[in-house]
Parts: sequence; C-alpha cells; structure tokens
Amino acid sequence: MNMLRIENLHAEIDGKEILKGLSLSVKAGEIHAIMGPNGAGKSTLGYVLGGRPGYDVTEGSVTFDGVDLLALEPHERAAAGVFLGFQYPVEIPGVSNVQFLREALNAQRAGRGEAPLSGGEFLKLARAQADALGLDQDMLKRPVNVGFSGGEKKRNEMVQMGIVDPKFAILDETDSGLDIDALRIVGDGINRIMRKPDKAVLLITHYQRLLDYVKPDFVHVLADGRIVRSGGAELALELEREGYAGVAA
Amino acid sequence: MSVLELPSTREEGWRWSDPEGIAAAAAMPAGAPVDPAALFLDLPGARIVVRDGVVDRDASDLHRVTLAPVPASDHPLGRQAAGPGWMLHLAEDAVAHPVQVVHLASGGANHLPAEIVLAEDAAAQVVETYAGAGWSNRFLRVRLGRAARLMRAVRLVQDGGFVSLREEAHLGTGASLVTTFLGAGAAGSRIDATLVAGEGAFAEFGGALLTAGEQRQECAVAVRHAEPNGQSHQLWRAVAADRSTASLAARVEVARHAQKTDGEQSLRGLLLQRTATVNLKPELEIFADDVKCAHGATVGELDQRALFYMQSRGIPRGRAQAILTRAFVADALDRIGNETVREAFAADADAWLERVL
Ligand SMILES: Nc1ncnc2c1ncn2[C@@H]1O[C@H](COP(=O)(O)OP(=O)(O)OP(=O)(O)O)[C@@H](O)[C@H]1O
Ligand SMILES: [Mg+2]
Repeated sequence: MNMLRIENLHAEIDGKEILKGLSLSVKAGEIHAIMGPNGAGKSTLGYVLGGRPGYDVTEGSVTFDGVDLLALEPHERAAAGVFLGFQYPVEIPGVSNVQFLREALNAQRAGRGEAPLSGGEFLKLARAQADALGLDQDMLKRPVNVGFSGGEKKRNEMVQMGIVDPKFAILDETDSGLDIDALRIVGDGINRIMRKPDKAVLLITHYQRLLDYVKPDFVHVLADGRIVRSGGAELALELEREGYAGVAA
Repeated sequence: MSVLELPSTREEGWRWSDPEGIAAAAAMPAGAPVDPAALFLDLPGARIVVRDGVVDRDASDLHRVTLAPVPASDHPLGRQAAGPGWMLHLAEDAVAHPVQVVHLASGGANHLPAEIVLAEDAAAQVVETYAGAGWSNRFLRVRLGRAARLMRAVRLVQDGGFVSLREEAHLGTGASLVTTFLGAGAAGSRIDATLVAGEGAFAEFGGALLTAGEQRQECAVAVRHAEPNGQSHQLWRAVAADRSTASLAARVEVARHAQKTDGEQSLRGLLLQRTATVNLKPELEIFADDVKCAHGATVGELDQRALFYMQSRGIPRGRAQAILTRAFVADALDRIGNETVREAFAADADAWLERVL
C-alpha cells in the first residue's frame, strides 16, 4: 500500500502557480530522490506537504496513510509522522535546542496519546542522537540554530529527525553545506533512522554524492512544477553526466 | 471629572496616558475581598498586606517597616497619595530581609505613599504585588545613601481597574537601584518615574508590559545623571495583543558635568495582532561631551518562519507563539536577582501567555 500518494497537485504562492499537476506515490520501505533545476518547485513541494501558510493548494490531493494530509494542521502532520528537513533551517533566538525539541517531541507524543518524556529521559535521547551525528553536546543548550554554521544547521536537522523518529521524512537539500566527513555522517544517519521497512523518505538533492551513501530506490526529475521523468538509481548518474536539459526535455 | 485632575493628553509626557481608564477604575463597584496568602512568596522578612490603600496591621508582619507620614510629591498623580504610608529606613551597613507588600483593591479608588531610605552601605529588597480590582494609586520616595543598594520587583496582576505608580528616587554616590516591573494582569497602568543618579551611581529600570483586550499600559521614566561616572540601563519589552496598547517613553538626561556617563536604553515591542499598538519613545538629552549612550527601539511581529518551523516539528501554533513571546520578554525578567522572585514573575508571564494565546 502507498504511504504517500500525491495526485495532480497544483499549488500557488501569492497567486503564482508553482506546482502544476504533480503526481507521486511512495510506499513504505522506499527512498525516493527528487532532483531538478533551481526554481523547479522542489522546496515548494516540501512546504506544501508540511502545510506552510501561504502555500495554497488549488487542485489535487495528498493522502498519507490513507488520511487527507492537506486537511491537517502542520503540527498534526508532524504527530502523524511527517518530518520536514529544511533547506534553510530557521534560527530561533532565546529558545534552546533542548527546550524546543522536548516541547516538540512531547507535543507529538500528546497528539498520539502517549505520555510525555521526563527531562532526564529526554536529555538521554537528545545526547545519544547528537553523539551519533557528531553534533557537540553544548550545541543542544544553545538557542536553536543561532550562530550555527551551515553544516551544523543541517546536522541539527538530522539530530531533530533522530529524536522525533518520524515515519516519513522529506529532506530538502540536507547535503548542501556539508563537508565530506559530515556528508558521510549525515548519510549514515539517514540510513540508520529512516532505512526501515515501515518508513519512507523523499530526498531532495542536486548531487549524486549523497546518493552514494543513501541509495535511492527511485529517482524523479521535477521540472516546472511537475515530475517529468522517473527511473531507478541510474537516472541520477545519467543526470550528473548529461544535465537536466537532455534528460528532462 | 471629580476623581482626579491630570495634565491633558495633549501634553507630551501624558499623550499616551488613559485618564478615562483611571476614572472608570475609580468608579468600579466594591468587589469581593482577595485573599493575600497565595500572593506572598516563600521568602523571609516583612509581609505587608495593604487593603484598599490601608495597611492591615493585623494581617501584616512589619519587621523593620514602620508606618508614618511620607513627605508629599508635587506630581499630579503622586500628590494624591499623600499622608501616612509605609516606610523602610535602614541605618548604615544594615541589610534587611526582603520586604513583601501585597496591595489588594476591592473597587473604588485607593491611595498610599511609601518611603525607602537606605543609609550608607545599607541593602534592601522589596517585592510588591498588585491584585484585585479598582484604582490603586501609589507614590514611592526613595533615597539611597553612598553605596546603598536597593532591588525592587513589582508585579501588576490586578484583574481589572488601574494601577498608577509614581516613583521619585535619588541615588547617592555609588548607590545602586535595580527595579523590574511586570505588567501581566488585566488592569490598565501608568508607571511614572524620575530617577536622579549621583556620582558613579547605577540605575536599572525596566521590565515587561503585557497587554491584551482593550487594556492600556504605559511607562514614562526619566533617568537624570547629575554627576559623572553614572550608569543606567532601561530595558523594556512590551507585548500587545488584541486591541490593546503598550507605551514606553524612556528618557536619559545627562547634565553638563556628568562626564563618563554610560546610559543604555533598549525598548522593544511585539505585536501579537495587527490591531494592537506599541508606542516607543526613547529620548536622550545630553549636555556632557564624554558620554556613552546607546539606544535602540524596535517594534515587530512574531517571526512567521520560526512559527512554521516549530509547528512542523509538532508544536501547536498557540504554544509556538507562547514560546517565542516568552523568549522575547526573557531578557527583561532575567534582571531579577532573587531566584524565588524571578520564578514567580516568570510564572505570571507564563500564565498571561496561557490566557491570551
Ligand atoms: N513567496 C514567493 N512568491 C513568489 N514566488 C515564489 C515565492 N517563493 C518561491 N517562489 C518561486 O517558486 C519557484 C519554486 O521555488 P522552490 O524554492 O520550490 O524551488 P526549488 O526547486 O526548491 O529550487 P532550488 O533548487 O533552488 O532550491 C521559484 O521560481 C521561486 O522564485
Ligand atoms: Mg529548494
């Protein structure tokens, strides 16, 4: 059965149509890579799935585990198991990572009718995830993403993903800004957290190098608001060789 | 208007004041008496219960506080709070336990003056809480001797009506006065203060005003550096929801020979809805040439990107707004040195957020 089913999705920002009839289905256990030129609508797709205000769906449908995803509030989508890794993680001055993540996790647990984690239980979990992704423990105490380098922000996204342990992750250019070692650590993190029979990933990327670590089952080309081509892992290699012009034409 | 005569709102220093709000509060019918027990914090020292402007001796534990006439103010609001009031006079080197004052209003107008006089090197802490409903009007006179230290924390948590506070403080050489306000009730307010800082004195005067509904809260403060080497910090955070208004007029004056003065103002406003108003007016009047005065004033809204980021991690929108707003006022409340007091004020701010968001 499909975990995620997107059908003929049209979405606009400020009255400008960005997604123009996008269809895509993802089954549990699958990793799908989405590639495509700048401005094609990849991040827009992530935001629409996450429910960002101002991104208006004008046509089409999205079902997640049989539920109308678009009818849910953003925080309800998170509680349902959807995680959006941001291309540009947001800085939140005055709010520590620990507070932010503990609130987030416990809100999600409450949404699923589970008991909250205590401060101690939470810290143990957060430390383990930070260690696994090579993020300095001290960064957990610092305000969310404030003063983090580009790469640290992306690692922090993965620490967050490890803590909330989602069912489905949309990772928007999680590889950009990472150095060579970090790329491997983050790739391993994605495999460790998400490579499971009951989970799935939509991996938005421009480069093959992340796909060397996280092997996609399918690769799609998103251009001008639609999926214009789909294939297996070899499609990414073909794109790297020939560029979008030849492949997506 | 029979209850008071205030300068016209056409006058600069009173343009954001709310005389109608005061008149309406003064005309509030008698309400149920409020139990002060829950309003005292777990601190040693004096506990003073003020009911409708009168110290309730039986319910109070005065410690070093005495009751006596306080020299009058000529300020339009301050002079109405004339006559006998509470006093804390400390002799040289004395250190008092904290003094807690709980002001309970049960409708109508009530007035009370107070005086705090600390001799050389004396130190005191005062925590005041305003609860109930009605018009509570206060005048406070502060005199700090050489190197004396006074820390005050004042929370306005009245359910309705108006609280007006007039404060006049003189800081002697090397004296220190740190005052933090929290307006987190449903009453209107005007905090109106003049501080005169002597040689090398340190004055901190700030806090957080949280307003909602049709509420109007206001602070007008002037810090005068009369002598060299003084320092002052005015750090205020105003949060306004619904159709409410929060106004801050903060002024630093540096006299001609008050060289090496360091005066800092940080005024920031946050609008929770576009129908709300925050007025900020930082003012510098500097006659000395070797001074360091920095001021910043900004009004903004919650960061929509941060809100969505938090929501996408599972935090409901209202809670995300509360977390961001709490972070916004944190700087102001962190100035409170005593942990018990700081936590109580933080809890009041949280309760306000819970109610409004
Ligand atoms: N607020 C906005 N108003 C109008 N157009 C917008 C707005 N935000 C994004 N767009 C446009 O939507 C289009 C798709 O943007 P999107 O960020 O989804 O592209 P992308 O595929 O993620 O690109 P990249 O690879 O550069 O990250 C772009 O043309 C962009 O300019
Ligand atoms: Mg993008």
